[in-house]
Amino acid sequence: MLKLSKPLIVGVAPVGKDSVFAARVIAAHISGYMNLKTEIIPTLNIPSFAYNEKRFQYNAGVILKSYEAMEFEYDKVIAVLNVDIFMPIFTHVFGEAKQGGKCGLVSVFRLKMEQDCIYPAPSLVYERAAKVALHELGHLFNLLHCEDHRCLMHFSGDLCQLDKTPFYFCRYCTAFLQGFYHFKS
Amino acid sequence: MKEKMRIMVVDDEMIIRESFSHWFEKAGHMACTAGSGFEALEKLKQYPFDLLFVDIKMPGMDGIELLEWVKKNYPETFVVIITAYGSIESSVKAMKMGASDYLLKPFKPDQLNLVMEKISQQKKLTGEIDYLKGFLDTVTRFDNIIGQSRAMKEIFRLIPEIAESDTPVLITGETGTGKELVAKAIHAKSKRHNHPFIAINCGAMPDSLLESELFGHQKGAFTGAIHARKGFLEVVDGGTLFLDEIGEISAKMQVDLLRVLEEKKITRLGGRESINVNFRIISATSRNLEKEIEQNNFREDFYYRINVINLNIPPLRKRKTDILLLVNHFLKKYSRETTKQVDHVTDDAMELMKNYEWPGNVRELENAIERAVVLSKSRTLKVKDFSFIRSMPDDFRKTLSLGEVEKKYVQQILEQNNWNISRAAKILGIHRVTLHKKIKRLNLKKNNS
Repeated sequence: MLKLSKPLIVGVAPVGKDSVFAARVIAAHISGYMNLKTEIIPTLNIPSFAYNEKRFQYNAGVILKSYEAMEFEYDKVIAVLNVDIFMPIFTHVFGEAKQGGKCGLVSVFRLKMEQDCIYPAPSLVYERAAKVALHELGHLFNLLHCEDHRCLMHFSGDLCQLDKTPFYFCRYCTAFLQGFYHFKS
Repeated sequence: MKEKMRIMVVDDEMIIRESFSHWFEKAGHMACTAGSGFEALEKLKQYPFDLLFVDIKMPGMDGIELLEWVKKNYPETFVVIITAYGSIESSVKAMKMGASDYLLKPFKPDQLNLVMEKISQQKKLTGEIDYLKGFLDTVTRFDNIIGQSRAMKEIFRLIPEIAESDTPVLITGETGTGKELVAKAIHAKSKRHNHPFIAINCGAMPDSLLESELFGHQKGAFTGAIHARKGFLEVVDGGTLFLDEIGEISAKMQVDLLRVLEEKKITRLGGRESINVNFRIISATSRNLEKEIEQNNFREDFYYRINVINLNIPPLRKRKTDILLLVNHFLKKYSRETTKQVDHVTDDAMELMKNYEWPGNVRELENAIERAVVLSKSRTLKVKDFSFIRSMPDDFRKTLSLGEVEKKYVQQILEQNNWNISRAAKILGIHRVTLHKKIKRLNLKKNNS
């Protein structure tokens, strides 16, 4: 169990000006659901070399590596993007984080896409972004994918699954988080 | 909770390998990678894997070749084919060859999740089937004796026939050939199978103790007999009494047992009342009792009484076709017992085992496999894992007489263990008392040089 001398602070960084509001919503959800102090970081830039011309998408792994190399005064950082990101094996990802790493990514690009010719309401988009952010933050705290489909750490491969997932960490994941900091479910 | 799997990703592109292992890490699986088919083969020989993700297009050995090799050598390993060059033909070919699924790069995240769930369920089902098969093996009566040689098939044919009758059986064969297993099979197939099967090693106990164990005693029959006690001849009531190493019992005991066999009555030590007993006797010996009769070491009348039906179990060197089956059986057994997944033997090692004489027969083979499995650091047993069975001098293999083989082997084991009787007896799989008797009979002496 990690004993902390000071409370953890999570920095939430908008990447590009159109991600600022989403970053604020995410920061509020992290404070509310994970009982962590959050701060909005000044806007970050996407490294141009992360862009893949063949796929017209940004490589999440490359962006993550570049942000991990930066020095932040926060314990964990969540970067909020408004571009389409991918992992080489996947067509796309909603978010990405290294297990036990420092930075996580959330992309709102596919969260606001139409489903059955219906565009989601902005409130639903921000709700989805917050779920992805909490999931990726869980990975930063070394949580693995969870079997419980009601848990935020359950893997959601599409928007339908993501919408079904409630804002809730199961008791095993809660117990694991409590090992890191004073987490209240 | 879902079981975590050992996964290997085989792809020539590092970025793909990293991407996969990154995702598997988050799901809690143990993932490793290989950059080519050949690297994957080497890793498969070292460690067991539950699941392989294999790219079709790779330089050297391609994914289809690797799939074919894996399904031939490790059929329990699941393989999922991945490719960026998807075609109906290649996917049909891969599925026909035993691939569990087929993914086109890049795929949607939920597709990989679905494949993983499907494999996980298949693995669970396979595990359940294996467990049930293993359970059936233990309850199936003949499955404990393994052999496909003509001699063993003949024994399998005879066992049910012998089991039907109640006549005494004498099982002969060298030490370690499985005489007790055959006796158990006869009992299990007989109408006495609901009654006890009691096995006594006559060579393991002194005469006085054997007498007390068999016949029981009354309170105060001898010093220390503070309670009356039933003997095995009473306890076995309705069942089968297996007397191993019957050739080791004294002339007095032979007379006593002869009387019991004829009258089916016993009297406890120190007692006066006759007690009716009901049992079937199966005896076993590794000695040539006819020769012992000629030398007046064994009573002829007792011999004919216990040897109504004779069953000879051939030594392992005379049924080498059984070695492969036995090796696989013991590999499974000790992999399960030691929880180490060692499930293959190289062709060279198998050849070595087939050429070896196995003076200790199946017991020695079992011990050799157990030792190799315990000490093995990979899933495949190689020649070097059996280096200990080649340590015998060459003249040992050329020995023709069985008596000489026994003498040299026992001498060698004793020398190797500095004449520590307990340790040597444990290795030989016999009791200390039996070893003392053998040392005396074979006239073995400590080699001071």
